[in-house]
Amino acid sequence: MESNLIVHNHENQSLMEKLRILSDAAKYDVSCSSSGVGRRGDGTGIGNTLAAGICHSFGADGRCISLLKVLFTNECIYDCKYCINRRSNDVPRASFTPDEICELTIQFYRRNYIEGLFLSSGIFYTPDYTMELIYEAVYKLRTVYRFQGYIHVKAIPGADPHLIQRLGLLADRMSVNLELPTAEGLKRLAPNKHRKNILTPMRQIQQGITQNKNEIAVYRHAPSFVSAGQSTQMIIGATPESDFQIMTVAESLYRKFELKRVYYSAFVSVNADRELPALPSGPPLLREHRLYQADWLLRFYGFEAGELLTEEKPNFNVFLDPKADWALRHLEQFPVEINRADYRTLLRVPGIGVKSAQRIVRARRSGSLNFDNLKKIGVTLKRALYFITCNGKMMYPTRMEEDYITRNLVGEKEKLPFDRDGMTYRQLSIFDFASEEKGQWKNII
Amino acid sequence: MEEYYLICEDSLEGIFTGIYDAYLKKKPHGQIHLCVGEEDNYRLFAVYETCMPDDTKAARVAGTILKKMGNEAYMAVCRALASAAEDKAEAVYKTVVAGLSMKRPGQVMGDLRNPYIHRVFELARFTANEAHYHVEFLRFRELESGILYAPMGPKNNVITFIVPHFADRLPLENFVIHDTLRNIFALHPARKNWYLVSGDEEMSRIEHPISPEEKKYSELFSAFFHTIPIKERKNYGLQRNMLPLRYRDYMTEFQGK
Repeated sequence: MESNLIVHNHENQSLMEKLRILSDAAKYDVSCSSSGVGRRGDGTGIGNTLAAGICHSFGADGRCISLLKVLFTNECIYDCKYCINRRSNDVPRASFTPDEICELTIQFYRRNYIEGLFLSSGIFYTPDYTMELIYEAVYKLRTVYRFQGYIHVKAIPGADPHLIQRLGLLADRMSVNLELPTAEGLKRLAPNKHRKNILTPMRQIQQGITQNKNEIAVYRHAPSFVSAGQSTQMIIGATPESDFQIMTVAESLYRKFELKRVYYSAFVSVNADRELPALPSGPPLLREHRLYQADWLLRFYGFEAGELLTEEKPNFNVFLDPKADWALRHLEQFPVEINRADYRTLLRVPGIGVKSAQRIVRARRSGSLNFDNLKKIGVTLKRALYFITCNGKMMYPTRMEEDYITRNLVGEKEKLPFDRDGMTYRQLSIFDFASEEKGQWKNII
Repeated sequence: MEEYYLICEDSLEGIFTGIYDAYLKKKPHGQIHLCVGEEDNYRLFAVYETCMPDDTKAARVAGTILKKMGNEAYMAVCRALASAAEDKAEAVYKTVVAGLSMKRPGQVMGDLRNPYIHRVFELARFTANEAHYHVEFLRFRELESGILYAPMGPKNNVITFIVPHFADRLPLENFVIHDTLRNIFALHPARKNWYLVSGDEEMSRIEHPISPEEKKYSELFSAFFHTIPIKERKNYGLQRNMLPLRYRDYMTEFQGK
């Protein structure tokens, strides 16, 4: 690679300063998974990967820290309204050199701090130029430092397809951020980005992966291309899309673009801008949580977006998780008999997850199961009991009535990942609307 | 009805030998029980016997489990026996009995209705989870000699389950993983096979000086660790769920706090 690509400003900054600035700038990117590919080390370098992925620490926000998540540079020619690194923001800027990135990755990795590298970047000069910088760092890490651990890189929309192709042969995962669920939202908040430019590299990576699978089927040692698949993320709550629109977009990303993961990122207000909503009660974490729950239902539970939400009911229930909400609207399909129902039916019962459904199917081969067995298997009976029978009997006499069951399910406090440390979800009151409006009013001025 | 209690040594060999001796008795399995270590509450009308660990007997039991009941059950049994629970020997013994009497012994771990099998499943899961936690949270520090040293204090004896992972990952490094509670060291010389050494009291207390680079990188990582969370999403409860406090004593990013 051309060595004249090295960024020349900020020469006096220490590595510590750079790391602080460039990890702080990267933290709003959600994806930190290191999963999707299992690869043993070949004994000549450093590193391997585990298909399930490994988290190495958890930060004060409870999010997993798996990869060294940094930007190459937070200089950016774009001015996206939601982004802390936008051109018009006065924030400290810094850039790594490829060697600094390699040293940090290797030294962190051998101490078991991290599982690999997540490299993204602000757009420096042009998308191509930025992509070349990323390529140079990753190429060095793979060849000179013989790093065989996990590498996740961003494909920069608008970059030369040849660059993306070359980078894909070095990376385990690539991602292009969709940023916002709809093209209109993108146009409003990210005037320099275009939906088409985002979907083009996504399609290219998808085709590259498919083609590579065929090559590997014929030539076992063909170099692999983005073997852990691609992912994307969208910001939730910055634009007025409904949950139904978001889930439909996610579903088509899974089906038509064969993505491994879609991440939802509750909008954190870092810039004051009149195009952005004021969020006095913090980022919409409950909404994000419901979207993830629904995402899991799409990927592992055989649900479709159209089953969970409709045009008429476009948003998730605040009080009930999407599966319980669905079950309550389809009571005619319940109760199901645990000892007879097939796996797909079991998966649709609230309180039964993928693992318990698998265990049930396996355990009932050696004899019929009762409620005590189910409890030991891991079924959450306090949620499941309204929807199941064991050998024809329900656990308690219950009424199959929507209102009755809803009352009971809502009464059982749902385990949410964020109801401690004061982060509770209040019900909306008239005062919230008032304060929200006040905020908007302030923005208009 | 006479009850037999076989007291085994607390090790894989010890308990496998116990299972072999239990079968030798040719009595109904309901009357025979296995326990590890000293029994502190002896029962009336029960016969207590001590089993001396025997490599040949243990190897035969291990071979039978692996051959008849398959790899899944064998791994579950090994994991369960690495746990610190007192009832592990009895649970494993009764699971083996149940498995060998089944039409399809390979499916034994699926029958979670059986309390003994369920117990083995539980213990194995605990060990596997703890082993995975150590794969995640183990921290190496570089000593002056360039050797990477990682101390840990697991509840179950997980060291043999985690070293292969690091040996594959860091083939060119000299590293040591030290179970400080059991005083077991796993040593991995660069480019060679790893092995276990059990140390004495003295060895666990020696403080080895760290390399000059070590301070730099541990500070860099701590800085990274404190920068990366989003403050608007602060959630210590979730952090505690995902990263239990007892692991933090050994972790670089939680030192000096």
